[in-house]
Amino acid sequence: MNWLARLFGAKPELTPEQAARLAAWQALPAPDLNDPHTASRYVVVDVETSGLNLVKDRLIAIGAVAVSAGSIHLIDSMEIILQQDRISTRDNILIHGIGGTAQAEGVPPVEALLTFLEYLGKSPLVAFHVAFDKTMIDRALKTFLGLKVNHPWVDLAYLAPALYPDLARSHRSLDQWMGHFGISNYARHSALADALSTAELMLSLRDRMSAKHIENFKMMRDLEKAQRMVNWTG
Amino acid sequence: MAAPNTLILATVDHLARFAPFDSMEREHLIWLAERLKLTYYAKGETVLGPDSGPVKTFYIIKQGVIHGEQDVVRAQEDASWLELHEGECFPLGALLSKRGVASTYRAGHDTFCFELAAADFRELLKASDAFNDFCTRRIANLLEQSKQVLQAQYAKSSSDQQSMSSTLETLIRREPVTCAPETSLREVLETMHKLGIGSMVAVDENRKPVGIFTLHDVLNRVALAEVGLDVPFASVMSPNPRTLPPHALAHDAALVMAKQGFRHILVEEDGQLKGLISEKDLFSLQRVGLRQISGAIRNAEQLDTLIHSAKDIRQLAHNMLAQGVAAEQLTQIISTLNDLLTTRILELELRNDPAAKALEFCWLALGSEGRLEQTLNTDQDNGIIFAAQEGGDPEAMRAVLLPFAKRVNLALAECGFPLCNGEVMASNPKWCLSLREWKRTFADWIDHGDPMALLYSTIFFDFRPLHGADHLAFDLREWLRGAAKENSRFLHQMAANALRNHPPTGSVWDFFTGKGNILDLKLSGITPFVDAARIFSLAVGGKQTNTLQRLREITGPLRIDPQDAEAWADAFLFIQLLRMQLHHDQCERDEPLTNQVDPDSFNNLDKRILKEAFRQARKLQTKLTLDYQL
Repeated sequence: MNWLARLFGAKPELTPEQAARLAAWQALPAPDLNDPHTASRYVVVDVETSGLNLVKDRLIAIGAVAVSAGSIHLIDSMEIILQQDRISTRDNILIHGIGGTAQAEGVPPVEALLTFLEYLGKSPLVAFHVAFDKTMIDRALKTFLGLKVNHPWVDLAYLAPALYPDLARSHRSLDQWMGHFGISNYARHSALADALSTAELMLSLRDRMSAKHIENFKMMRDLEKAQRMVNWTG
Repeated sequence: MAAPNTLILATVDHLARFAPFDSMEREHLIWLAERLKLTYYAKGETVLGPDSGPVKTFYIIKQGVIHGEQDVVRAQEDASWLELHEGECFPLGALLSKRGVASTYRAGHDTFCFELAAADFRELLKASDAFNDFCTRRIANLLEQSKQVLQAQYAKSSSDQQSMSSTLETLIRREPVTCAPETSLREVLETMHKLGIGSMVAVDENRKPVGIFTLHDVLNRVALAEVGLDVPFASVMSPNPRTLPPHALAHDAALVMAKQGFRHILVEEDGQLKGLISEKDLFSLQRVGLRQISGAIRNAEQLDTLIHSAKDIRQLAHNMLAQGVAAEQLTQIISTLNDLLTTRILELELRNDPAAKALEFCWLALGSEGRLEQTLNTDQDNGIIFAAQEGGDPEAMRAVLLPFAKRVNLALAECGFPLCNGEVMASNPKWCLSLREWKRTFADWIDHGDPMALLYSTIFFDFRPLHGADHLAFDLREWLRGAAKENSRFLHQMAANALRNHPPTGSVWDFFTGKGNILDLKLSGITPFVDAARIFSLAVGGKQTNTLQRLREITGPLRIDPQDAEAWADAFLFIQLLRMQLHHDQCERDEPLTNQVDPDSFNNLDKRILKEAFRQARKLQTKLTLDYQL
């Protein structure tokens, strides 16, 4: 795929087999966002990228952990490194620890993203600072699969302060919230480990959620919207 | 299956920091990690409780703290008795025995638990020897689990489990409130009222406790005695209060309270007051308290009251069994209370019998009562030893004592201690003897060693003074210590006799159980230990009558490996516990108490331990065989 094609959004080439897999994913029914937490599967994601620039930087790895009916089934997790034609900078490698070789030996992007979609199904997505993860994933899907998605997301970076208004000012980063709930991380800045910590944060919010009758994904999203207003006006 | 991802591998690494996962094979750990579910419990949230039914999940704490609490205690603050931390697993006992849990497991902090389905837990038991070992092998481990299973059965009546075996220092709730002995009573009462406390301890300038005063004393020492409130505290306090060191067990304090009728025990270390333990601290939730029972017995004026107390003793025993109080402490407490009861019957009968009261005699406890090993199913074994007056006729003294003894035997029977089938009772002229006659009788048995003599010696040589002129009993004991030790032929005969009783063997669960599929826990389980301990004790000139004390007493002189002695004691206690559990169940079903049980009615865990216990019994018998060349 050349850079012009990428620039003009030409449809990328998929093998018939890959196209069939993508079609199968697209045909999956959308989840009912009114389903209670106890009957839902949410996928908590974290990504590693070549940098923090939403426009220029590339997606290197996705880590994902599913929260099903309020628990994390360890086996229902995935991480995938996307094969890079350009290795990210040394400083960047030092952050996520995915070295040049691992980047070069990663899964070809089309295959990697199809695997991710098949793992994800149509389960709603959860992340801490959704804007970043969502932009990176959406762009990769668009670039490599030609897919424009409108997947439901919810952002714990808004949900947590909405549920703990007294901590809203002092707790902004994932690390701060992890610290508050005593959540450990086996390898910070590895996509899967961060996804697990984010999922544990989501579990930790459960009590406040039930106290406020936040019983399904839709209600989480409404609360997130309300909190965005608070941040905007406050 | 695809190669495990870093989350699975990180979980494996995390688990491998803790036992038993540290000794498990990596492939088993990966298998485990792939089946784990991570769940969050908010502080205070219940993870598992007696209401949850048979346990469906094996829990490993990833981070946080889980408290195990006995159900009744829940209402009380800080009542947890079990604290589990990162890497620890629960509830093994309930899972292995496929039952529910007795305790409520509750998150002490925000806690994450790895959870494994019970079916996967069992798969892992099969697959991993290391895991299996951890869960099932070690006897101490097993006993602990068995205790939990036992507790599970009594969940409905359970109370604070830890109290009896914890040290007093852990039970001290707060700094005791003290005053100087010269403080005025008014000031003390005002302080007690203001702080809402029930007792005040007077200490000297070195913080040594010199007296105690409780609200209870206000009634008789202040109000009824019409003492003015300006008197110094020292004039109304109980001086020289009873103290125990901080490392004494709650059980010790309970016994002192029961024996002396105290409500409070002071904890003293290096001559300084450390704290105060009240009866409430020990039995806060028990419907029938140890001290209430002992107080009722001590103040009983008629038999009816004592009959009621005897029932309370049984109820207390059930409650304590449910709490998981160890068999040794339980039988000791039962024996102590039964002693008090017997003593009170003797006192009441003596009041109406001045002739008997005028004689110098001692009531003897024999058999299991003599060994302080009474269970709920104990008939009477007692005797009288009296001092023959200079030139006096023992028959004349017997004529006075026998009718008295008869009344005591009947009163005991009314309190639920059945008359002895073998007539081993003080009202039998054969067992109401002067010191000289007892010595002659014992000497006879030791010399002849006929079957009857051997049988009698197993009952009578466990004698212990219960009430009255105990120096007579001590005299007899001193004499027996010498006489039995010197007669090796007699010991040899006793050993041969003891070996006729075979503990069940069995490489699997093929108990050699005589007729049908019935196991006699007393004859096949308890007796081999009791008999062997008695013989060894007599052989070393020991003076203990309690089987555990005897096992401890002989370890040194006979050069027994302390670990062996410990295993024998554990095994003995375990069978004793099963026996009491059986009696408890029979009581609940209103059935007559027996020692007979269908071995198949035990769960697999108890079967395994019981087999191990029988193995220990055979080991002890082997030592008899070797020592006496049988």
